[in-house]
Amino acid sequence: MQRASVPYFLILPSFLLAAVIILWPLKEIVSLSLHDVNRFGMLKDFIGLEHYRSLFANPDFIAATWRTLFWTAAVVIGTLIVSVPIALILNEDFYGRGIARILIMLPWAISLTMTAIVWRWALNGESGMLNSALRDLGIINTNIQWLAEASTAFPMQILIGILVSVPFTVTIFLGGLSSVPEDLYEAAATEGAGRWDQFRLITLPLLKPFINIAFVLNTIYVFNSFPIIWATTQGGPANSTDILVTYLYKTAFRMGRLGEAAAVSLIMFAILIIFTILYVRLAMREEKQ
Amino acid sequence: MMIRKLSLLAGLSLLAFSGGAFADTVRVTIAEYSKGTGPYFEEAAKAFEAANPDTKIQIEVVPWDSLQQKLTTDISAGANADLSIIGTRWLLDYVKEGIIAPLDGNITPDFKARFIDTFLTPSVMDGKVYGLPIAASARAMYYNKDIFAKAGIDTPPATWADFKTSAEKIKALGTETYGFGLQGKEIETDVYFYYGLWANGGEIVKDGKSGLDSKAAIDTATLYKSFIDGGLTQPGVTSYSREDVQNLFKQGKVATVITAPFLSGQIKTEAPNLNYGVAPIPAGPDGGKGTYGVTDSIVLFENSKNKEAAWKFLDFLFTTEQRTKFDKIEGFLPVNAEEAKDPYFADNADLKVFTNLLPNARFAPVIPGWEDIAQTTSNAIQKIYLGQGEIEPTLKEAAAKINETLK
Repeated sequence: MQRASVPYFLILPSFLLAAVIILWPLKEIVSLSLHDVNRFGMLKDFIGLEHYRSLFANPDFIAATWRTLFWTAAVVIGTLIVSVPIALILNEDFYGRGIARILIMLPWAISLTMTAIVWRWALNGESGMLNSALRDLGIINTNIQWLAEASTAFPMQILIGILVSVPFTVTIFLGGLSSVPEDLYEAAATEGAGRWDQFRLITLPLLKPFINIAFVLNTIYVFNSFPIIWATTQGGPANSTDILVTYLYKTAFRMGRLGEAAAVSLIMFAILIIFTILYVRLAMREEKQ
Repeated sequence: MMIRKLSLLAGLSLLAFSGGAFADTVRVTIAEYSKGTGPYFEEAAKAFEAANPDTKIQIEVVPWDSLQQKLTTDISAGANADLSIIGTRWLLDYVKEGIIAPLDGNITPDFKARFIDTFLTPSVMDGKVYGLPIAASARAMYYNKDIFAKAGIDTPPATWADFKTSAEKIKALGTETYGFGLQGKEIETDVYFYYGLWANGGEIVKDGKSGLDSKAAIDTATLYKSFIDGGLTQPGVTSYSREDVQNLFKQGKVATVITAPFLSGQIKTEAPNLNYGVAPIPAGPDGGKGTYGVTDSIVLFENSKNKEAAWKFLDFLFTTEQRTKFDKIEGFLPVNAEEAKDPYFADNADLKVFTNLLPNARFAPVIPGWEDIAQTTSNAIQKIYLGQGEIEPTLKEAAAKINETLK
């Protein structure tokens, strides 16, 4: 056996496994998306790109696509902005830090669907906790019907999205912060650098790889996140809070249009892949500089 | 000792294995209507197995919301059960694909005579019986007697015009209670709209065309919108699903809700002090009336290898004794004529209102793509409720889309 081919032989088993798990379903979905398919996944006529054409002519789908991009960007960026200060605070040594850490991590321990259902109750217009809290505080004097229309429902869904993404992100950042050597700060302090300069010139650059990984992973999770929107509004009223996953679920399992649903999932897959590749290349180029 | 135990276990499992291979196993997919559903079917299966020792019944309980998804996935993988509960409104989509076996070969005139005709008819297609009504329900108006009395109204509203006057009186009480509990979210949002549509003399589908652009539909949308704009419904109707409106009713925040018989049972346990009555859904200006009748069917799949055993279990489930037990647990309407004579149903004032409405009950029309049409309708009326669409153009657009589906 030649030396050069050894690595390939060694990765062959895992490659085959990956192929069976990823490539085979992918091939199935591609073939679904190119055929006329009945409700039960039986292939009928080959119709080429017809499903894609009808999707791009469907204003609900286009709107859901833009909304998904907005949803992903808002939740991911929001999460990063909230998580950095939280991680910095939790990294400090203070009395009760253990409890504070637990409190921040707690939402992670509850299933996403459960959190979303609790929020659905909290946002209920007549008997929801949020309205009664706001009323008691004197902030509002008529109930706000949070989930009645997209203008109030969607921002709330984004806030819930941020809330549930924070624990994971903070965990990554805490890991990153613990690898920053203490003496760097001491040296900077003797040179006369203030807290802000220390953060800007030491913490942030050293945290960069961790921010990158949090960014990519969160993007993938949030882009595909189903429970929050489904449990609170099911994408309604009138498709106004639909993102691609909820749209996909309705198309496949409510309407029984599996071919079109397969096309939606491939489009989602393509968007994610393009995005990830772009981002990874950008991040790597920066690192080389 | 240990070894003896082990070998005994091995022998037992071998026995169980061979037993499985010889006896017929009938798998049944059951939709979970309430927490009593699973236990009822387990018990029924045991009773059946005791009488038919060479058949094994395997019950699989699925939440109602994911039933359609489970069936779709199971069928496409060829791993479906022998029997399954399905919404009768989906039945045509399944029958068209040749997935469901007709039951006519087994149905004797005696067996057929067990049923109240109204409930069996929806599962009949092209003259063949494709399913048996495992669950039957209709809708009527629950009203809060105390709120009505406080507003000086003695009787439940007979017409929609009466209803509006009553709702205005209730609003005048100034207690943040609302006359019309209007559902505007999730499953059956469209049905809530049909109550008014039928009263106004409209139809969901007429001569193969959507009735959503008819005068009756426009009148209904205008009527409902005037309830919303007049503050006669709970605010933000598009954030209230059926359960949400029922909860408002239990809390005494809305004076009426149109829903199924099972609400009586829920009120009994959750709000026992609520003083309520059940009345027919208000009529239209020309006396038009209508309630929504729903059945779920239990069907036998074409690819079942144990059709005979499965049929026997069906026969067993539809005996008067089993039906009475099940309908009492779930709060459904009796589907067997004999069962309806049981004092539990015959002397129940709430249920009587429902059974009296049955002659006017409309079932979901037998058309392909029912879920598609329901979604389009719900979306259109949500836009109208929110004031995001003019009534006429929104309904016309939805009707055109539905006609496309119906083609």
